[in-house]
Amino acid sequence: MEFELDDEQRLLRRTVRETVAKVRGRPEREQWATYLRLGWLEAPPLELALVLEELGYAADPSPFLATATWFVPLAGRLPEGSGTAVFDGHGRYVLDADRADEVALLTPDGVTVVPGAGLAAERIPVLDPRLHVARIRAPGELVAGVPDLALTGLAATAVGACRKVLDLVLAHVRQRVQFGRPLGSFQAVKHKAADMHVAIERARALTHFAALTIAEDDPRRTRAAHMAKAAAGECQRLVFRYGLQLFGAMGFTWENELQYALKRAQACDLLLGTASAHRKALLS
Amino acid sequence: MMRLADDPGVAAFRTEFAAFLDAHLPAEAEARERPRSSAHVPGWARRWQRTLFDHGWLLPGRPPEYGGRHATLPQQLAHLEELADRRIYHSFNPQGLGIVAASLLTFGTEEQKARWAVPILRAEITAALGMSEPEAGSDLASLRTRAVLDGDAFVVDGQKIWTSGAHDADVLLTFVRTDPDAPRHRGISALLIPTGTEGVVRRPFGSIAAEDDLDFNEVFLTGVRVPRENLVGPLNEGWRVANGSLGHERTLLWLSYAERLADLVRDAAGRGDDQEWYATLQMDLQALRLLGHRRLGPDRDPAEVSVLKLLGSEAVQNASLHALEAAGADALPHPARTGPHHHMNNEDFVSSWFERYARSFAGTIAGGTSEIQRNIIAERLLGLPR
Repeated sequence: MEFELDDEQRLLRRTVRETVAKVRGRPEREQWATYLRLGWLEAPPLELALVLEELGYAADPSPFLATATWFVPLAGRLPEGSGTAVFDGHGRYVLDADRADEVALLTPDGVTVVPGAGLAAERIPVLDPRLHVARIRAPGELVAGVPDLALTGLAATAVGACRKVLDLVLAHVRQRVQFGRPLGSFQAVKHKAADMHVAIERARALTHFAALTIAEDDPRRTRAAHMAKAAAGECQRLVFRYGLQLFGAMGFTWENELQYALKRAQACDLLLGTASAHRKALLS
Repeated sequence: MMRLADDPGVAAFRTEFAAFLDAHLPAEAEARERPRSSAHVPGWARRWQRTLFDHGWLLPGRPPEYGGRHATLPQQLAHLEELADRRIYHSFNPQGLGIVAASLLTFGTEEQKARWAVPILRAEITAALGMSEPEAGSDLASLRTRAVLDGDAFVVDGQKIWTSGAHDADVLLTFVRTDPDAPRHRGISALLIPTGTEGVVRRPFGSIAAEDDLDFNEVFLTGVRVPRENLVGPLNEGWRVANGSLGHERTLLWLSYAERLADLVRDAAGRGDDQEWYATLQMDLQALRLLGHRRLGPDRDPAEVSVLKLLGSEAVQNASLHALEAAGADALPHPARTGPHHHMNNEDFVSSWFERYARSFAGTIAGGTSEIQRNIIAERLLGLPR
């Protein structure tokens, strides 16, 4: 096995990060158009994971995640506009169903694609204010069958969001002085930061591996996707707890950017089964 | 490059080594005598190490005269993976091979390589590492054992501790203070001290596992005269030798944790496979392997091995505790066997669940404690102030 990003993949990561930073704050439609123009939706699984990590890092508000990792693997094609999918058997918490142009439904007879407007989707206010989650009223019977790529996509997004939390925390503890010393010079702080870093590295490695098994259609792909989702969830749990704690009262405010990354990571764990559910899936 | 398959050069190397192992592995009947410490190597194990040396499979990254074949780093990893997968030790004196001989090949003179390194590699002699002292553990640079030059010999006085296998070793690579006035990292030198020298007293002591599990040693050095030519590396540059020695050990050290984790996946099956910690164990193993392979890429910070050590050693400890608890009262018998017999491995198959959990602390304490690893990660990788 070889497990090192090549120069092109590193370049992609840098390009995505710079582009996302540049279009930040612009209207959502404009951001989305930029991502489409750059061809990110067509990226193969590993490159897609890199894109999603950066979008998670920025707590991106666009329908990219649902389109690339929910709609595409189910429908087998790109949507006209944006897309999402219902593959949980009930459609209670569907990413972007309120704004998707096309929705792929997993039914007992296979996959049906319907226009999003026809589903009477109702957006649900959720903990992450930038995330669109909606419930749909299905036109017929639904069945469950979560694509490996959907789990991997949530994992990659969570990993990116966790990295953002760590970066914000590191900047804070380097600069904030108490007792005449930067907070970051205290071992109690250092050790938590180190544990966050290790959790992120672990989850990221398993996420890249899951993407790689999908890219090569390796028989381990479903197990690898469960591992990625579980590891990202475990990582999120630790990073949320240590991150918010280390940021002190400042991290508890609405104004602080920290909230978006914390919430994106948390939401990615809660959607399509938390870490515990995926650990159990690995045992069966 | 990211791909599941090996590079063709690595795949061919792996196949060749696997064929060599199939042809040359000592038979079980031959390997009856067990090593009693990490520097006690029975005759059959010495012959095995010599065979590996002669065929260039002992330290494949080295040139043939030092038991290698100029293998690349990914090939060296494949070599260790094949050994680990089959639960084979290539040396039963791991510190002699991995640290002492490796340091001599990097820092030693040609004479030292011929006189000490090659015999260690060919398993003619064994070696141990004298680093820690009663007052110098994690804070190694505070070591106080002194060496004073007197004519053409150093006179060494002081005490070492945790010197694994010292009572069975022929020579100690010892770190001593040669300039008491220099800043603490600068006045240290590395000396080879033959254990038969007058004034060297070794006292092995038992571990938490058993009173007669004798690997730890105290080594008392009183007026020990060591020929000047036994100085390894330049005078007062021992800190560089120490870092280099441990660096050698640490680069692929994660593989030993991966092997432990794989053993736990195997031996706790049936006890753990309906419980979530067993899934976590499999994830830790997979993540460790992935990060270990990634570590082989160029331009990586050497401090990243701290991530591997912390992740691997803590994962082994967590899983060992879960396995112990899952065994319930069945974990009481000690000693006990908890794994299948492997005649080329000296470890788990004779260990109780208690012993396996207790031994996991070697991973989180020795070679830089988990606390030190976290400091390194925070300061060197995350840029937090010292």
